[in-house]
Amino acid sequence: MGRIVRIIIAGFMLVGLASGSSVWAQSLDELHKAAAKEGALNFYATLAQINAEIVLPTFEKRFPGIKINHVDATSDKLVARAVSEARGGKTLADVLQVPLENVLQVHAQGLLLDANFPEAAAYPEGLKGSFWVASDLQYFIAAWNTSLVKKEEEPKSYDDFTQPRWKNRLIAEPRDLEMLLAFAKYRFKSDEKAIEYWKKVAANNVEFHKGHSQLAELLVAGQAAACLTCYSHHYPIRVKKGAPVNYLLSEGVASINGTAIFKNSPHPNAALLYARWVASQEGQKAMAQGGRNPAHPKVDPTDKTKTEKTYFITAADLKEFPKYEKIWKEIFRLR
Amino acid sequence: MATLAIPRGTGATLPSFRDPALFVPLVGAGILIYLAVLPLLMLLIGSFQAEVAPREFVYTLKNYQAAYASEYTYSTFKNSLIFASGSAALTFVLGTLLAWLTERTNTPLRGIFVPLAVVPLILPGVLESIAWIFLLSPKFGYINVWLKSLFGLASPPFNVFSLPGMIWVHSVGQVPLAFLMMTAAFKSMDPSLEESAMMSGAGAWQTFKRVTLRLLVPAAGSVLLILFVRTLESFETPALIGIPARIYVYTSEIFLAFNEYPPDYGRGGALAVGLLILSAVGVWLYSRATKEGKKFQTVTGKAFRPRQFDLGRWRWVGFGFLASYFAFVVLLPFLVLFWASFLPFFAAPSWDAVQKLSLDNYRYLNGFRPFWDALQNSIVLATLTATLAMLLTSLVAWIVYKSRLPGSWILDFLAFVPITIPGIVMGMALILLYVAFPIPIYGTIWVLLIAYLTRFIPYGMRAASGSILQIHSELEEAAAASGASWWETFRRVTLPLLRPGLVAGWIYICIVSFREFSTSVLLATGESRVLSILLFTMFEQGQVTVVAAIGILMIATLLAIVAVFYKLTGRVGIQTQ
Repeated sequence: MGRIVRIIIAGFMLVGLASGSSVWAQSLDELHKAAAKEGALNFYATLAQINAEIVLPTFEKRFPGIKINHVDATSDKLVARAVSEARGGKTLADVLQVPLENVLQVHAQGLLLDANFPEAAAYPEGLKGSFWVASDLQYFIAAWNTSLVKKEEEPKSYDDFTQPRWKNRLIAEPRDLEMLLAFAKYRFKSDEKAIEYWKKVAANNVEFHKGHSQLAELLVAGQAAACLTCYSHHYPIRVKKGAPVNYLLSEGVASINGTAIFKNSPHPNAALLYARWVASQEGQKAMAQGGRNPAHPKVDPTDKTKTEKTYFITAADLKEFPKYEKIWKEIFRLR
Repeated sequence: MATLAIPRGTGATLPSFRDPALFVPLVGAGILIYLAVLPLLMLLIGSFQAEVAPREFVYTLKNYQAAYASEYTYSTFKNSLIFASGSAALTFVLGTLLAWLTERTNTPLRGIFVPLAVVPLILPGVLESIAWIFLLSPKFGYINVWLKSLFGLASPPFNVFSLPGMIWVHSVGQVPLAFLMMTAAFKSMDPSLEESAMMSGAGAWQTFKRVTLRLLVPAAGSVLLILFVRTLESFETPALIGIPARIYVYTSEIFLAFNEYPPDYGRGGALAVGLLILSAVGVWLYSRATKEGKKFQTVTGKAFRPRQFDLGRWRWVGFGFLASYFAFVVLLPFLVLFWASFLPFFAAPSWDAVQKLSLDNYRYLNGFRPFWDALQNSIVLATLTATLAMLLTSLVAWIVYKSRLPGSWILDFLAFVPITIPGIVMGMALILLYVAFPIPIYGTIWVLLIAYLTRFIPYGMRAASGSILQIHSELEEAAAASGASWWETFRRVTLPLLRPGLVAGWIYICIVSFREFSTSVLLATGESRVLSILLFTMFEQGQVTVVAAIGILMIATLLAIVAVFYKLTGRVGIQTQ
């Protein structure tokens, strides 16, 4: 009798295991059935409204019955929020989609689920980890105001910005130490040379403003002649509207936005469905249509936003952020 | 002189719990403790906690050391003090001048300036700052550009990214508050006192200086106090202008503490406790100044009509001041936003830009679901907060200033406490409180309602108590003597007498709730998002011209709410003869 019971239990366990793993191997449509019962998805993401209004309805139409509740704020606020909620003993978020740096911060708090998304198989190493997969890339590029910069003085590469003609004409984002890190590791392959380069730029008295969208707006308005650390995906839309701006695609720094799922999330199936969908070719096409740079190797961006020479910030590089942050702040005397 | 309708004919028996004279204060205290003290407790506990590992806390004094013994302590304190006192003074002078000119003098066309004076209040702080950045930015600000080309200046005459710039932008946003409260004070002032002075041979100036000004002391004191503390806890201008200019005040320090990783609740909490102490000193000074409130009772049983000062030829100077104030301070920021709302991207007025004008931003909003959701949330929250806050505070103010119940000062203190909690800290405290709360309101607009109600009770309290102080007890005593119960007296005598103050308070709370963002930024999620948050996130995302269009629609909505409310309340209460 005892043996039979044990066999039955073992059998159940096997079935359980199989069905447990099948959640990960299920097709998206199968997963949809379970997700639709949950009905909603709490989505903590920095995705701008202008992108979200295309990407999210695409998901909602593809998977009827799931309403996305998009909590959008800057990444540091979203992280602070998730951490505070955890402090109160609750998990309200399902999916996190923010810069990789911030994904790692939330992971360090032990809030994220280890997950091997089947769709991640198509991504190269460096664009996925044990608990995240890239949702899109952003390229840090230089841009300029075409009414303030004459045709003949347009920058051809980042080397131009050490020249004195840019004095008092440059703006940048104070937190973009990625520029220093990428220049040190991939452009100059030397800390000294990179520091020397940025010191020369700093001698031109760079003005700092927080938020990349705001930088783009300030550049359009003529606050400065050129922006050193702008996002490339902010420009095609402005150029189309006739704003007096242009941007440099010959070289740039790329960083990763990642998708991850929260542990004990209130809508686990919907969370998994979204994470897998947005990593799939289908989801990545939606991201491209929404104006972002897809991370999937087989999906191209809709607009011209990829740089020719790209210095990628990898997940491993993130560990060196504190070191470069300190140098970056010293160079520009930032607090 | 006893003002309470103490149970008659019950002899020596103690008033029962069901007696409104005891029951009402207890309920009031209960609500206030729940709203004001609970989040404060979270804040206090947090200020002594340090996180040693994720969600593992130890108690420590380290946070206070980090907050008050750092290399930035002195500059933050100095900046905060200059910012708050500068703004309070400038705002008070402008607000009082506007109120006096429109309410008590014969300045030509003053009537049309009254509604205009409230307009800047309707501009959310974020929008106000953006508008002034576009006007006074050293690089592209319209005013700087125009003045430079007009006078051939080498450098821009104004720089909004400075302490004076911050004081200016914050002050012009606050003037309507001072204006509303000073108007209420002027309105309910008994002119017979001034007339007696005139008849006793005092000149107009002497009367103004020795009678009018002194009658205004309680109102002026409370207005200055509110302005000072409100500036200390404000964070729109410090965030949008102060942080880029690297001028840090307390709130931006707290904001930065909460937004660094990992969020430093400890240091932020310790800074907030410091703010609390500063404000507590303010309350103490205030209560000392108004202790002998009877001296200033100006509403009595006698009928009166406020007297007007004849300014003579000076009335054209008054008119000139009003006209230029409204052209430069009210109209210009509005025009900049209006202009921007039709642009595809921000650009200076030019023929080229005129050709790009279109209704695209408005068309975009029409089909933009988050905008309509946020609009609905904002309207519901603003009207509900204002109504509940004024009901609660008129009761509390009556208990505090008229009932003479022992310990009623505690109620006054409780109702003032929330003003000391900066919005951003309140948001944090409420998240911690309600995220673990058995009633699942976290993430809904109800937690926002609680946040707004708590934050704006002090304003309601000042509006209500300012008016209550001026009502002489003889009116209530007359009602009680005629057999009216406590509740009847409150409803039929006290409440109608309070009407000018309550209406001003309702309108003010409605507007500040409608534009509130420093608390909402932490509490509003996707579905409970309000307009100011949509505005802020979209500004951060660079859709500045769409933000301008939302701003214009917000202004229109608020004007409509205020107009409807004014119309409704005009019919109840005492009939002005």
